[in-house]
Amino acid sequence: MEKKPSFFRRPGVQTVLASIICAILGILVGFLILLAMNPSHAVEGMTAILRNFLKYDQSSTTLMYYFGSTLVKAVPLILCSEAILFAYKAGLFNIGVAGQYTVGIMASLYTSIALGWSWWLCILAAIAAGALWGFISGFFKAVFNVNEVIAGIMMNWIGLYLTNIVLGSKKVMDQSTSKTYNILSKNPDALLPSFLANVFGHNQYMTIALPVTVIVAIILLVVLNKTTFGYELRATGHNKEAARYAGMNATRNVILTLVISGGIAGFAASMFYLTGIEQYTLASSVPGMGFNGIAVAFLGGLHPIGAIVAGLFIEYLTMGGQYLDTNYFNPQVADLMVAIIIYLCGFVLFFKHLMNKGKAKALTNVNAETEENTTTDEKDKEV
Amino acid sequence: MDKDDYVIEMLHIRKEFPGIVANDDITLQLKRGEIHALLGENGAGKSTLMSVLFGLYTPEKGIIKKNGKEVRIKNPNDATALGIGMVHQHFMLVDIFTVLDNIILGAEPNKFGFLTKEAARKRVIQLSEKYNLKVDPDAKIEDITVGMQQRVEILKMLYRDNEVLIFDEPTAVLTPQEIDELMKIMKELAAEGKSILFITHKLNEIKEVADRCSILRKGKYIGTVDVENTTKEELSSLMVGHSVSLKVDKKEAQPADTVLQIKDLCVKSKLHNKDCVHNVSFDVKAGEIVCIAGIDGNGQTELIGGLTGLENISGGQILLDGEDITRKSIRYKNTHGISHVPEDRHKHGLVLDYSLEDNMVLQRYYEPKFSRFGLLKRDTIRSYSDRLTKQFDVRSGEGARTVVRSMSGGNQQKAIIAREMDRDHKLLIAVQPTRGLDVGAIEYIHKAIVNERDQGSAILLVSLELDEVMNLSDRILVMYEGEIVGEVDPKKTTLQELGLYMSGAKKDTGKEA
Amino acid sequence: MILLIQYTLIFAAVLILVALGGMFSERSGIINLGLEGIMVFGAMAGAMVMVLLPSHASKATIIILTLVAAAVAGMLSSLFIAVACINFKADQTLIGTALNMLATASATVIVKAFNTSRSDGTDFSAKLDYVTGHKAFLIHIGELEVSWFIIVAALLLICSTVFFYKTKFALRLRACGEHPQAADSVGINVYAMRYAGVLLSGFLGGLGGIIYIAAANSTWHFDYGVAGAGFLALAVMIFGQWKPERIAWSAVLFAVFRSLSNVNGGIDFLANLHIPGTIYNMFPYIVSLIVLALTSKNSRAPKAEGIPYDKGAR
Repeated sequence: MEKKPSFFRRPGVQTVLASIICAILGILVGFLILLAMNPSHAVEGMTAILRNFLKYDQSSTTLMYYFGSTLVKAVPLILCSEAILFAYKAGLFNIGVAGQYTVGIMASLYTSIALGWSWWLCILAAIAAGALWGFISGFFKAVFNVNEVIAGIMMNWIGLYLTNIVLGSKKVMDQSTSKTYNILSKNPDALLPSFLANVFGHNQYMTIALPVTVIVAIILLVVLNKTTFGYELRATGHNKEAARYAGMNATRNVILTLVISGGIAGFAASMFYLTGIEQYTLASSVPGMGFNGIAVAFLGGLHPIGAIVAGLFIEYLTMGGQYLDTNYFNPQVADLMVAIIIYLCGFVLFFKHLMNKGKAKALTNVNAETEENTTTDEKDKEV
Repeated sequence: MDKDDYVIEMLHIRKEFPGIVANDDITLQLKRGEIHALLGENGAGKSTLMSVLFGLYTPEKGIIKKNGKEVRIKNPNDATALGIGMVHQHFMLVDIFTVLDNIILGAEPNKFGFLTKEAARKRVIQLSEKYNLKVDPDAKIEDITVGMQQRVEILKMLYRDNEVLIFDEPTAVLTPQEIDELMKIMKELAAEGKSILFITHKLNEIKEVADRCSILRKGKYIGTVDVENTTKEELSSLMVGHSVSLKVDKKEAQPADTVLQIKDLCVKSKLHNKDCVHNVSFDVKAGEIVCIAGIDGNGQTELIGGLTGLENISGGQILLDGEDITRKSIRYKNTHGISHVPEDRHKHGLVLDYSLEDNMVLQRYYEPKFSRFGLLKRDTIRSYSDRLTKQFDVRSGEGARTVVRSMSGGNQQKAIIAREMDRDHKLLIAVQPTRGLDVGAIEYIHKAIVNERDQGSAILLVSLELDEVMNLSDRILVMYEGEIVGEVDPKKTTLQELGLYMSGAKKDTGKEA
Repeated sequence: MILLIQYTLIFAAVLILVALGGMFSERSGIINLGLEGIMVFGAMAGAMVMVLLPSHASKATIIILTLVAAAVAGMLSSLFIAVACINFKADQTLIGTALNMLATASATVIVKAFNTSRSDGTDFSAKLDYVTGHKAFLIHIGELEVSWFIIVAALLLICSTVFFYKTKFALRLRACGEHPQAADSVGINVYAMRYAGVLLSGFLGGLGGIIYIAAANSTWHFDYGVAGAGFLALAVMIFGQWKPERIAWSAVLFAVFRSLSNVNGGIDFLANLHIPGTIYNMFPYIVSLIVLALTSKNSRAPKAEGIPYDKGAR
């Protein structure tokens, strides 16, 4: 153990490898499904999904346009996963990101369409809404010891119904189409400033959301690894008892973590809806963005930069579904592949275990709880 | 009695763990109808031996015989089938179930899968009357006392008609009255023909109930004696031995001002709803090492927990340099002069998945020295960590960046010692600082502690190792069942006397209890 | 008013079954956040059977085959949770979430493929129509329209309650969710019991799914999943403190609110209040959250739930 661990024994390398295994297995299973649906066109279908917008390679403008659309749609996904991994680093499973994202939609669309605020105020409103939702979960966790997963699920639905009420009003929603009004027609000031639209084939939805997402990821990376606050959060996530021993304030940190996580989720909503690319329609179930974010967070190895890569990959696959020939397949096959990949992420620990086979101690710690086990192992051996 | 009367024989058992021989050629023979005590210090190998008998471990060498016939016990179910039952130290009871449900669990009387509890209830009531084990079969476990819970565990064995009953330190959680009752029950069970293995380190209890006693020390079998013909003093010296392997070079202590003063401290137990530290008072002066000796589970952990803030105090006062810090936060205590080498280095002392350098500043990361505007000063932390690791000879694979989980136990402990000694402090609390370490590391840590004392720190040491207690301390306080039962001078006392205090056979008033 | 009672009965039936499913799983020690997904699988299988059965099939055949299909599909899908969480010790929250996504996506894909092949490539929708099937379940008692589903649910509630309190099997299952080490020490196979708990949740969840889509509707769009019914059932389970009889009345309470959101316009005095239906939808969640906060100190959640059991680590 005195030596430097070999390349494949390094935790970072193993995390990347495990994620790649998940992705490849997911695509393989997807191919099997295509085979089952239509054996003669399966290869063609898989190629369409994987080739994606690259099929427009004759025209660089069109190619870049669709590339841009993928990026725009990946933004909220990546941000949601950043929100989830941030809380996860502190030992909290913030399943409430879905609801925090939803109230973020509510705040950004209401302030932009009904109140006519300019874009940066709308963003602030969305962050505040998400943060408030996160705060409530955190408050219930820290003060009443309600499991944050349960509180998060309840808050998701409360958020959804509240959003339906607020955005269903005449001021925001076009009652004839059952969609919220286009921001461009009601309040162009609320649209995010555009960014490199020319490069991306004049894609009008290319906004500062893109660089901002990268900046957020970098900020999180810095906060988690370079600041005293991040130091505390990760210590708490790894070993709650040691954090207490070191004198850290658990109550404050739980609430603060969920407030920040919720704020990021709210921010994610504003970064998507304030581009004007999509309108909100009344939904009967909580938008899946937050749940997909869980997937991306795990696939990205719970690393802020990993989440960007994983987010782009998942969005690429999802979009790939639209390139399928609908005569043979339907686009949801891509969603199915994504869901399989997420399911496989649950086996990451197992994959890592396989990679460590032969090594005496194969416990790579993903869960804070495993700490306890190792302690008892030690004790037994000391007898 | 002749040979045929052995109900269980464990012959020449050897069990190894990586780097340690936990049981080295141990033989234990249990006669039918006797109460057989198994005596030994912490780490003597008692639990391992019982785990072998109960099928949790497979021994490398040796055989087990039941009624003279060799048997193989591969798992607890095999043990149960052979009529071996065990009252675990941590009860195996489901809190929200009733007493009756807990007793029948796993051996439920049923008709077509539906429970038929009436017959079982009659049987349980009958058993509890016969052996004087009073319990309400319909009470929930969470509502009854620890003593009653133990009776449920005993009833579980009786309900299954077990004939060999193992009690693993059964008195640790009981009140004196409950202990008396348990002793009576054990005698009755033996009189009924049950054979009992009784694991303990309390000499009074052995004298009271046991017929014979086997002694283990450091994994080795020392011998089996008839309790009647053996004095407590003899038992005590068999248990602790005479070897004093490590001598620490140290000068006479120069105690100065009182640093820590504890008055009537009480701490509630987490396991059960009663105090497990009762009105403890003592003080520690600058320049002396005060050691709290005692057998594991007599309130030492809770006492230190209360002192450092990890556990809630239910009464009393703590003064540090005359300042009342009873209700202060952990961080306040950390920053106002208390350094703490915790008992469990994995649970409290370290964040195992953090690098060595990050662990070195676990309580100090936010100080101006190590951070500015909320940003960690990585370079300062690195050089600070490098200095400490060099000074305290902490060895690691990749230096400051090594993940602590990959380091050896000795080096992990040295890292904690380095961190705690380097922090500004008036008082150093060290709980079992050398647990599980090799001789070299132990020697090093002992020297460091003495050195710390000579520089004027007040040191409070908690240890289960008698060698360590005798060698290191300037004053010894013995803790037994949550109370300080004696204060002795290590130069004037003997291991035997200490053993008597620790096992509750002697109290401070000087008379035999 | 009659409509309100009808809706309440249907919702209550769904919530009772699914919440009981969640209860069995959690009592064995596995948190089941995938109830929503299990419902979708059950619903899809049941609906496909109703579509496929010839129109002259007898009522009894339709009822029995539909229910069996839904229950089996639910159990098969719950294996996704059992394998990952029991054998591979995967994160139970992650796996539950993944199952929900998996369910909606695969239901959409499967139903679309099903429709496409049946219609020779003219129907690409994710919608199933099962008018005959829906009607087969109806019974009229005076003005009240009752469904066989509700009778089935009531029977299962009674069976579950008896099973839960009176059988040896359930006693062992409950022990595994509270103190698996204790169960192990008396020779109970903890892994097997947890499998049983999860499979029971699949059985009940699958049935809940078919009732949800078929008791009040004769057509269903599978791209919508089951619109949060599984999560509502989870709230019912917590509100019912993991006990069958309490789950029953919590389900009725929640069902009343859910029905009010659908029919509040039809009842004069409620219509006059001008409360949007959505508020009634929100209400159960708010109440659950508050109740959770007040009772969390003595909450009866199974103690060992969510913690993978490892035989080696004693």
